[in-house]
Amino acid sequence: MAIVRDIMPAFELFQPATVDDALRLLAQHGADAWVLAGGLDSFDWLKDRIKRPKVVIDLSQVAELRGVREVGGGLEIGAMTTLTEVVRHPVVKAKFSILSTGAESAASPQIRNQGTLGGNVSQDARCWYYRGGWKCYRAGGNICFADTPTAINREHAILGADRCVAVNPSDSAPALIALEAQMVIRNTQGERVVNAEDYFIGPAIDIMRMTVLKPGDLLTAIRIPATWAGAQFYFEKVRDRAVWDFPLLNVASAMVVTGGNIERIRIAVNAAAARPLRLTAVEDAVRGKPRNASTGEMGGKLAVAGAEPLRYNGYKIPLMRNLVKRAISGVEEAKWA
Amino acid sequence: MPAKTSPGQPAYKLIGQNYATPDLVAKVTGRAKYAEDYRAEGMLFAKLLLSPMPHAHVRNIDASEALAMPGVKAILTVDDLPAPADAMTDLGQVIPANKLAERGLTNDPVYQGEPILAVCAVDEYTCAEAIERIRIDYERLPHAVDPLVTLRPGTANARVEGNVWVRPVAAAPGPGQPPPPPPAPAVQELKWTDADFAEAKDGQLPMGKATDEWTYGDWQAGLKNADLVLDETFVTPNTSHQTLETRTAMAYWQNGKVFVHCSTQSTSQTVPALARWLHMDASDVVVISEYTGGGFGSKITSSIQAIIPALLSKKTGAPVMMRVSREEEHYIGKARPSIHGRLKVGFTKDGRITAVDMFVICDSGPYDPQGDANQAGRQLSLMYQPPAMRWRGLSVLTNTPPRVSQSQPGGFQGIVLMEPILSKASRKLGIDQVAIHRINAPEGKALIGPAVGGKRQYVTSAFIKEALDKGHAAFRWDERKAQPKRSGTKARGIGVATSCFVGGSVGFDGLFIIKPDGRLYIQSGIGNLGTESVSDCHRVTAEVLGVPWDKCEITWGHTGRNLPWTCPSGGSQTTHAMTRAAYVAAMDAKDKLQQIAAKDLGGKPEDYDVGGERVFHKGGGASMSLAQAAKRAVELGGIYDGHELPKGINKFTVASANALSGQGLLAVARDTMPRDGLTHSYVAGFAEVEVDLETGKYQILDYLAVADVGTVIHPRALGGQILGRSMLGIGHAIGQKWVYDQHYGLPLAKRFHHLKPPTILDAPEKMAWDAVGIPDPETPIGARGIGEPPVGAGCMAILNALSDALGDDVFRRAPVLADTILASLEAGRPMEEGLTAHI
Amino acid sequence: MGLVEFATSPWGQSVPIHISFFLMWVAAIGGLAFLIVHAIWVQFIARKEAPAEAVSPEVAAKVPEKVARHSLASRLFHWIMAAAMFALLITAFLPKLGYQFPWVTYHWIAGLVLTASIVFHIFHASFWLDFWAIWPDSIDLEDAKRRWLRATGKTAAAPRKFAKYPMENKMYHAVIVLAGLSVTVTGLFMMKRVRTPFFTRNPYVFGDMTWGLMYVLHGLAGVGLIALIMAHIYFALRPEKFAITKSMVFGSISREHYLEHHDPERWAATK
Repeated sequence: MAIVRDIMPAFELFQPATVDDALRLLAQHGADAWVLAGGLDSFDWLKDRIKRPKVVIDLSQVAELRGVREVGGGLEIGAMTTLTEVVRHPVVKAKFSILSTGAESAASPQIRNQGTLGGNVSQDARCWYYRGGWKCYRAGGNICFADTPTAINREHAILGADRCVAVNPSDSAPALIALEAQMVIRNTQGERVVNAEDYFIGPAIDIMRMTVLKPGDLLTAIRIPATWAGAQFYFEKVRDRAVWDFPLLNVASAMVVTGGNIERIRIAVNAAAARPLRLTAVEDAVRGKPRNASTGEMGGKLAVAGAEPLRYNGYKIPLMRNLVKRAISGVEEAKWA
Repeated sequence: MPAKTSPGQPAYKLIGQNYATPDLVAKVTGRAKYAEDYRAEGMLFAKLLLSPMPHAHVRNIDASEALAMPGVKAILTVDDLPAPADAMTDLGQVIPANKLAERGLTNDPVYQGEPILAVCAVDEYTCAEAIERIRIDYERLPHAVDPLVTLRPGTANARVEGNVWVRPVAAAPGPGQPPPPPPAPAVQELKWTDADFAEAKDGQLPMGKATDEWTYGDWQAGLKNADLVLDETFVTPNTSHQTLETRTAMAYWQNGKVFVHCSTQSTSQTVPALARWLHMDASDVVVISEYTGGGFGSKITSSIQAIIPALLSKKTGAPVMMRVSREEEHYIGKARPSIHGRLKVGFTKDGRITAVDMFVICDSGPYDPQGDANQAGRQLSLMYQPPAMRWRGLSVLTNTPPRVSQSQPGGFQGIVLMEPILSKASRKLGIDQVAIHRINAPEGKALIGPAVGGKRQYVTSAFIKEALDKGHAAFRWDERKAQPKRSGTKARGIGVATSCFVGGSVGFDGLFIIKPDGRLYIQSGIGNLGTESVSDCHRVTAEVLGVPWDKCEITWGHTGRNLPWTCPSGGSQTTHAMTRAAYVAAMDAKDKLQQIAAKDLGGKPEDYDVGGERVFHKGGGASMSLAQAAKRAVELGGIYDGHELPKGINKFTVASANALSGQGLLAVARDTMPRDGLTHSYVAGFAEVEVDLETGKYQILDYLAVADVGTVIHPRALGGQILGRSMLGIGHAIGQKWVYDQHYGLPLAKRFHHLKPPTILDAPEKMAWDAVGIPDPETPIGARGIGEPPVGAGCMAILNALSDALGDDVFRRAPVLADTILASLEAGRPMEEGLTAHI
Repeated sequence: MGLVEFATSPWGQSVPIHISFFLMWVAAIGGLAFLIVHAIWVQFIARKEAPAEAVSPEVAAKVPEKVARHSLASRLFHWIMAAAMFALLITAFLPKLGYQFPWVTYHWIAGLVLTASIVFHIFHASFWLDFWAIWPDSIDLEDAKRRWLRATGKTAAAPRKFAKYPMENKMYHAVIVLAGLSVTVTGLFMMKRVRTPFFTRNPYVFGDMTWGLMYVLHGLAGVGLIALIMAHIYFALRPEKFAITKSMVFGSISREHYLEHHDPERWAATK
């Protein structure tokens, strides 16, 4: 069978109007169903005819999945809320600005108008071998093309590799982990709530999935508790161009500083591994310490302990080290005349 | 920005002024029709089946299942294509067909993504399903994607014939005979020895046997007597042209003529190209391309794949649209070849170059030897004026998509190889960067390249020193230089680069009519590829005749509408060539107006002048309006209304003029004006960058380009070209490149988001341009072309600024991204693999 | 549904990548079916073997009370190999059943243990044990024919007692050698596909088709081993074989068992 790309294949399209209808359809079609949110991940797969689901369940008509609601000092954000809405929401900006910054660093303005928070956080890896249709482990095969002596892997993982060295490319994920967010997942059996940091799976456990979502599951909402409202936030994304590109690395931290010392802190990085990493060891090491450059450097070094570079991604080690340092102790600003 | 003119230059009414071009409203409102926008009744669609392997032979194609599908109308394979055709020069000599050239479809794919066949069906969905049902039995052949690797002993070659291009020596001409056209280039195998490779240490380019060489002067003495010799290796990227409009084409036949809606840089010149590819008479080919969304050298005469819908249309008897997707465009849309280069350059302690020894390997792809290797040396010899030079080069074949000229082909790579050396020399010798460029800059009838026919050639003029001076002041160079380089986690640097390229050809035709309504109807064979030269050049006509611009109408983009023979729009030649053609046509009109006035109003033609929409007696009194003169021209017939045509104009123009005869005063002429030297243009680029030393990311804070393009015809269009092409060059500096998995010989970067063309948000925060405005003395209007020189300036101003901020030995190839910088800073030495291709 | 899953290689060629994993169930169910059928057949259908002729008292007197059957080294090998085999089967197939845990590293560690034990066994059996004891010989074949004839109601001479190992044992061993070597050799090559402390990861030591066939062989051998191990454990627990099983733990069989089943001429009894 010859390969052709860039033409949408045929599938059956459902456009449910309620979550219940969507869940019923998901239960009915199981692994044959593909959930379509904003489409910015889906269309790549579908138009390239690499993934060929029989059924596509388009959530665009499910109004109850959209919107930002204030709940008990925190927020509940419908999974289909666009990134632009999240970025611009006054309460997000006032109390949880790291989510606004993080979400705004994703992709481009046009993509953010259509891409959803749920989609951004659940998106698939962008390893170019995987996305090019090469049948690797993540695609159900038995090889990783990115971890070979000749592979081009400058954007791949330095931590947590287990046969697959792809990274998680989400910019909102580390921000949500820093905010102690929780993911609300429903299926026809009921609802379960998963901590953001536990929402993601590494290749050692399941090499074919990025998140805990199984066929039949639907991420319906993301809850942000009041815990880190108004805290000191740091978010930085390093990427090649000023727009479009996925992170080479990003970092998100939420911190409460009292009397110059770090009272509590949460730090997460992404694009270093196949799942966003919450740096609990670093958090433990810097908690209670003064918020200064030396603490930052210590945290940065600890963060990259055990990192294993591939042929072309060794720069990610100093990059992660420096970004974690900045997430703890900030950036030394330049003062030009 | 108003054009800058130098003292002594006439004050023009139109030339040098901004105006709304005739295509503006259509573009802005979306009414402009590109090839993809056309529809015809019963139109079918075609899609391509691409080779999955980098090198293979097709043993069998089983399309039976596909052809049995309802809605599938035909397939086209290489067996349906006309064989490569010999070409004919104007002297009647035969240029033999290059049997190794690209044909559009193939049974012997030489790169992954090469079209094997095309399927034609009622819609694209059906085409796709049909393609998936086609079974092809391939014999996979060994592949080579790295030009340096394929020179190693015992490695695979990209083609069965070999891995390098060689030029067989032409037979000597018989006595009194003109020299014969060069024989077709051939492919042979060339492997260097292990010793060749072992000799190169620590990132240096190994230098085995070269296939081509030229020298001038005593370069060995030049290096020996230098105060400083630098031996540097640099690698430039393969960059796809990535025109925003892909090379979609739609074709249909009517009464034996083929009508091709295509995306092309040149309107008139596409006709003979299509005719040659289709084995047809040029008079039976009509090209329609009123708007083209970018070419950059990849669509100089559209591209050979345009014959696919034409032949499918013939086969099916229906119009056929072949839309080319972005990924397909990556494969068939061409790219700039990468060059691995090593230069040994000698300097005096004042920074003057004493000699250059240059060695380049050009990755030529699988088809057509690229001229880039040679042009790199040639443009370097002009830009930096080495008194003595040796150039050696090879064009190596690889199983990667075909290359073709891209904006400043070869010249760009030469500049990129040389500029880091100038930059390093300036630091080592303690000389200011601008000063070291100035001391090596060309001026006047500067020499270029090796001797041809016993003598070195020279350019028409060069005012790059003036451009450097202008930029030095406008960029506040000394003030920026005095600033500290480090603060916080940031480092800043400033850079300057000079760049040049060919800027004009001669010998083309102008054609227009003054109709009895008093308006000028100008025929433009120039392509509308976004440069605005399609109308800019014709401002000259209105200027010479003193006619207001709103009385001029331009017909362009459709060769069925009687266009003149025009230069190709490539190589920055259009502004120069076609302002000359417009000028001679205007002078022809003036001449005829004077004659008509003398006939009707008495006296001699030279007693009359033209202006204010009239032809008038110089001493005052008698005059006629242009409208009246046009009416008279029709009554007089003969030479006045185009029934008699001058000798020497191209047969393409003859056909057009014949069709237009009798409608008014017909002006037609061929540019036979003299020109002493080869026309080139120049740009000096200035940049300031700021690097974050903790992340490796850098911003371009400020960029200024000052151009020497002779007279400025249309400032806004010029600004667009200068800054637009600077961005093309900047793209090469900040991120654009090919990436290949070498084991499989397959591309990993095939779409925009992997190939990383710069976006508007990557443009420098502040960007400005200026022009020196001194007319080129060898052409009446003084205007030279601009498209290409800014590319090298844009790229190297940025990279020189980076090395100013970071020091030497941080990067050894372009583009330079954050990972290169951070890894080098962390290790204290360059960490990137210097010579591996496609990483 | 095919037995083998195919995928498109980066060069567009169809190559096998692994077995279809429903074959796990085929092996498990097939194995179970075999056990049930065998148990029923033995219990209700098979004819009881006539007791073989007794051995002469002089020969019997020379036989010690406990006859050594498996040395300590042999037993250690067996149980280490068995443990490795279990670890391999668990790490291979539980994830396929949906129990997710990081299995790869444990899998190849167990694989290395298995390999080491097999290598040990080959050397040990070749130089310290009677190498030929486990391979079928002409007497085995002849006796197998006799048993078959008698089982199907025809007349044939009485089969003789076997040497150390009965024919079924030898045949099982031969099959497990094939399966074991297949899975081990392919598995060792596969270590080039993942990161290990021993060598640089390089999947390109073979081409896509070769690797595909290797994975298919590994898979077939692997699921085959499910059935084979089930059979092995079944037979080990069967009452008439239990004494043998005990000898794999304690090292010896009783004199009675020895005299009843084994031919002293062909397998000399030692302490």
